[in-house]
Amino acid sequence: MGDIIVLLKAALNPEMVRSKPDGSLDQDAIPLKLSDIDRNAVEEAAKLKGKLGGKIIGITVLTVGPLARREKDLRMAVQEALAKGVDEAIIVADDSITPGDQVQTANIIVEVIKKSGLKPDLILASEATIDETTGQIAGRVAAKLDMPYISFARSLDVVDGKVVAERDLEEDLEKVEAPLPVVVSVTQEINQPRPPTLIQIRRASRKPQKRLTAQDVKDALGVRRRILERRIISVKRKQEIIDGSSLEEIADKLLDILEREGVVKL
Amino acid sequence: MKALVVAEYPRDALESLAAAEGMDRVLLLFGPAAGESSRIAGHAKTYSINSRDPEAVYNSLRRVYDDEKPDLVLGVVSKNVKDILSRIAGVYDLPMSTEVTEFKIEGGKVVYKRGILSERAYSVEEVDTPAIILVNPRIYKPLDESPGEPITLEPGASRVKSLGFERKQLSGVKLEEAEVVVGVGRGFKKKEDLKLAFELAELLGGQVGGSRPVAADFKWLPEDAWIGISGKRISPKLYIAIGISGAPQHMSAVLGSKVIVAVNKDKNAPIFKLSDYGVVADLYQFIPVLIKKIKERKGS
Ligand SMILES: Cc1cc2nc3c(=O)[nH]c(=O)nc-3n(C[C@H](O)[C@H](O)[C@H](O)COP(=O)(O)OP(=O)(O)OC[C@H]3O[C@@H](n4cnc5c(N)ncnc54)[C@H](O)[C@@H]3O)c2cc1C
Repeated sequence: MGDIIVLLKAALNPEMVRSKPDGSLDQDAIPLKLSDIDRNAVEEAAKLKGKLGGKIIGITVLTVGPLARREKDLRMAVQEALAKGVDEAIIVADDSITPGDQVQTANIIVEVIKKSGLKPDLILASEATIDETTGQIAGRVAAKLDMPYISFARSLDVVDGKVVAERDLEEDLEKVEAPLPVVVSVTQEINQPRPPTLIQIRRASRKPQKRLTAQDVKDALGVRRRILERRIISVKRKQEIIDGSSLEEIADKLLDILEREGVVKL
Repeated sequence: MKALVVAEYPRDALESLAAAEGMDRVLLLFGPAAGESSRIAGHAKTYSINSRDPEAVYNSLRRVYDDEKPDLVLGVVSKNVKDILSRIAGVYDLPMSTEVTEFKIEGGKVVYKRGILSERAYSVEEVDTPAIILVNPRIYKPLDESPGEPITLEPGASRVKSLGFERKQLSGVKLEEAEVVVGVGRGFKKKEDLKLAFELAELLGGQVGGSRPVAADFKWLPEDAWIGISGKRISPKLYIAIGISGAPQHMSAVLGSKVIVAVNKDKNAPIFKLSDYGVVADLYQFIPVLIKKIKERKGS
């Protein structure tokens, strides 16, 4: 089989949300990590490569700056993907292209694919990322490259040169078939990503990584979105741990509280 | 200002048409429900395409887009609509925003608000028209039906072949309406153990829901009992989360609960910071005791 491209994002980590005293989002203080479902996409690529051969190329575009502050997290995210099975990485990172938007990100990915002369059989992406969660990059890339697109795949296989997948829709599962080359977005349920082995982690640092700047993709640049305001949604909960010398005592205390709060009637 | 509304389900069409109030409206309804388009065609010039194949719909929609030249393409978030419109966004380089909770149009610009960072924060953003906006369901009150004459379109070409649909097993539980919800997570070791949660829910007059892994991956619960930003959003009086770690994608959807109780054996689980009351205990030991105590109180 030909090559597999996996789209990767070093995304703002929603578990580490930080705000400024006035409640605005302190984006610079939020670290990046490899977006959760990208791991499933990498795992699926590794599985298909094991069956059919080919090479896995990861492409990532940095969308939040400043680069100096993001460099370490970006490197770690790419390293993780390489350890999990990506063979080589192409990284586009430049302060002049942050903050990005989906129009620009898709254009850059397509530009990288064309300029690098890549002829993938399969482009894999996740159904959505953990920071923006708009789930649209894969569809944009498919339309621009005029490739068929299978979204929300919960299972995927290549049989006799054709992709067979199960799409996870609201009320149905739809089984579909498409010729290669094809773009597929995967759901979190498609597989259980395995942690990389020690050998894989060691090998990852020797795998090729190509760094590109805005200059290399200049025909693809231009954002359409202006961010006006970002604020934290504050959660104020009591955060009270109920202690006691026995589970009976804790259960009694809890029930007393819930009755007092008026949320249970016993 | 012209809005092109794209929908697979009549209800979504009626909600999107309501969201496009005051604009010139054109509707494209696709999928099996396209046959029902005459029920709503009175609201707008309506095209119907009897296909659920996203590529086929996309190819017909491109022609409609070129003819109608809308300022806004509008819909309610759903998977096929997202799929189709992400391709339209790509081919025309349009900005596209999804899970939008509010928007307004002023002087050729759309300003909208949406959750980001798994809904731990929100973002207010601005784009020029033409643009694509997908709003969250249940924000706009659907219009009443209004019979009219739709224009039927042939589905466009597609390289993807559908080999058939399998209906998911759904229970019809309405977690959105429950006063008490017991949430189950990966802390449960096997499906049979959920009977602890069902017994607790029954004693409290509530319903059982679960985290994404429990509902979508292990399939221990039907998918309509899946709580989270990609499942149901709930706002009961009481939410009891058992064996759930407290991931933002889960917790953002339960913020509307009046009281949140967490039972988790790991005292460092993030859920304790997002709850009102926490019990650090093994659920297999604590829940039976809690059930016994409730029975005692109910009995007396
Ligand atoms: C784009 C995206 C969308 C997502 N959408 C959703 C969504 O809609 N809903 C959702 O739920 N998730 C969603 N997720 C997944 C989410 O990130 C978490 O992976 C998931 O919520 C974790 O489920 P959990 O808490 O059941 O499991 P885990 O995180 O594995 O937590 C299990 C918990 O059980 C505790 N435990 C274990 N044994 C016991 C015991 N005997 N007694 C007591 N406690 C015990 C552990 O300490 C642990 O805290 C989404 C992820 C992404 C990336």
